[in-house]
Amino acid sequence: MDSAGSFHYNDQEIIKQLRQSGIDKRRSEEQLFNRFAYFVREGMTKHALSEDESFDAYSDTILAALENIRNEHFEARASLKTYLYQIFHNKCVDLLRKRTTHKNSVHRPESISDRLMLLTDTARSVVQKMMDQADWNLLREKLDQLEEKCRQMLTYWGDNYSDKEIAALLRYKNADVVKTSRLRCLDRLRNLYKAK
Amino acid sequence: MDNLDYIESYFTDEPDPVRTREFENRIESDPAFAEQVAFYLSAFQVSGEAARIVKKEHFKEIYKKNHIAGPGPVRKLVYYMAAAAVVAGMVFGIYTYVKSVSPKQLADRYVNGHLQTLGVTMSGRSDNLQTGLRLYNEGRYEEALLQFEKIIRSDTSLFTAKEYAGIAALRLKEYNKALSYFEQLEIYNGLYANPALILQAVTLMERNQPGDAAKAKQLLKRIVDQDLEGKELAQEWLRKL
Repeated sequence: MDSAGSFHYNDQEIIKQLRQSGIDKRRSEEQLFNRFAYFVREGMTKHALSEDESFDAYSDTILAALENIRNEHFEARASLKTYLYQIFHNKCVDLLRKRTTHKNSVHRPESISDRLMLLTDTARSVVQKMMDQADWNLLREKLDQLEEKCRQMLTYWGDNYSDKEIAALLRYKNADVVKTSRLRCLDRLRNLYKAK
Repeated sequence: MDNLDYIESYFTDEPDPVRTREFENRIESDPAFAEQVAFYLSAFQVSGEAARIVKKEHFKEIYKKNHIAGPGPVRKLVYYMAAAAVVAGMVFGIYTYVKSVSPKQLADRYVNGHLQTLGVTMSGRSDNLQTGLRLYNEGRYEEALLQFEKIIRSDTSLFTAKEYAGIAALRLKEYNKALSYFEQLEIYNGLYANPALILQAVTLMERNQPGDAAKAKQLLKRIVDQDLEGKELAQEWLRKL
């Protein structure tokens, strides 16, 4: 179903819904995506991007905005539209630059995990150094090799779903069972990664 | 595994100064432990990245379904000319169009335009639900309905399964059953985007029995008055009904 493609809500309602927990998070993400999907056309006309490139810039914009809204980094000083358009414009410019300099895609995840920032400087630099040496492509490959349920569980975890939410989505008995299974999956991933 | 649990609780539990000191000392003095912390954080990042890929694919599906942007940049002049042609066409055609559309036709358009396929995600929903969605998208509505009903029997609280069961019943022209599922959706008050009323209105307009159009109109008015999901569509339909 077209998840409310044409149904509009005000900024505050959208932000409130995006910040709520629950298994229908995805529905509110779809609404945000649909609401400003016309940006894709703007990327094509104003930045002369192809439809695929403009779509990439737009979906990256939505993903970045979702993260910032949920982490409370978005302070609503500007309207949601202005905020998203600024991100979208920057993504389009980045794409154009990448296109002209023929840069390959970055293989290391771009954002530094908020969790890493919880460590004090000395401990963080030790861990950061080890993370810099990690073989990210191999880790991605090993994650793909995990069985479906494990992969789904870790994907939800990486998307900041709580164990309770994961239990509801993947039909586990409760959050404790999810936690045990999830850590077991993480351990399995580590063994796969270490075995190379 | 024990260490992973310990590492996770450091990052997710309330900060505790004693535990923080102990944890960070261990990172600095025990390289094997530091490596596990680095792995935990790297796995979290890569899992987040995988989640973003899944979402992006899902967005692509939605985009393909709803927006056909057309090829490359188009000159503004062409846009203006096309817009002018559309406006001119509308000026000539709108009066007769508005007057000639019946509730059943409006509902048909909605069903064909919005309920032709339902979004299947890679991992966003349970496997059973995905099977139902796949069956639906293949036009196997009866089997899809059975699948959604199976899910509902095992978990009566599942909102989406009821929504999809109602939609599948609607496609099968089992209007009473569809209405029953959509009425059950109404109890999910906490939902931000609850399509219960708009779907009930569509079903009544499709069923088209005596009194159905009037009931549908009441539902559409409720949607507008209470600012519920589907408000813009309800306003548009109310103008036409």
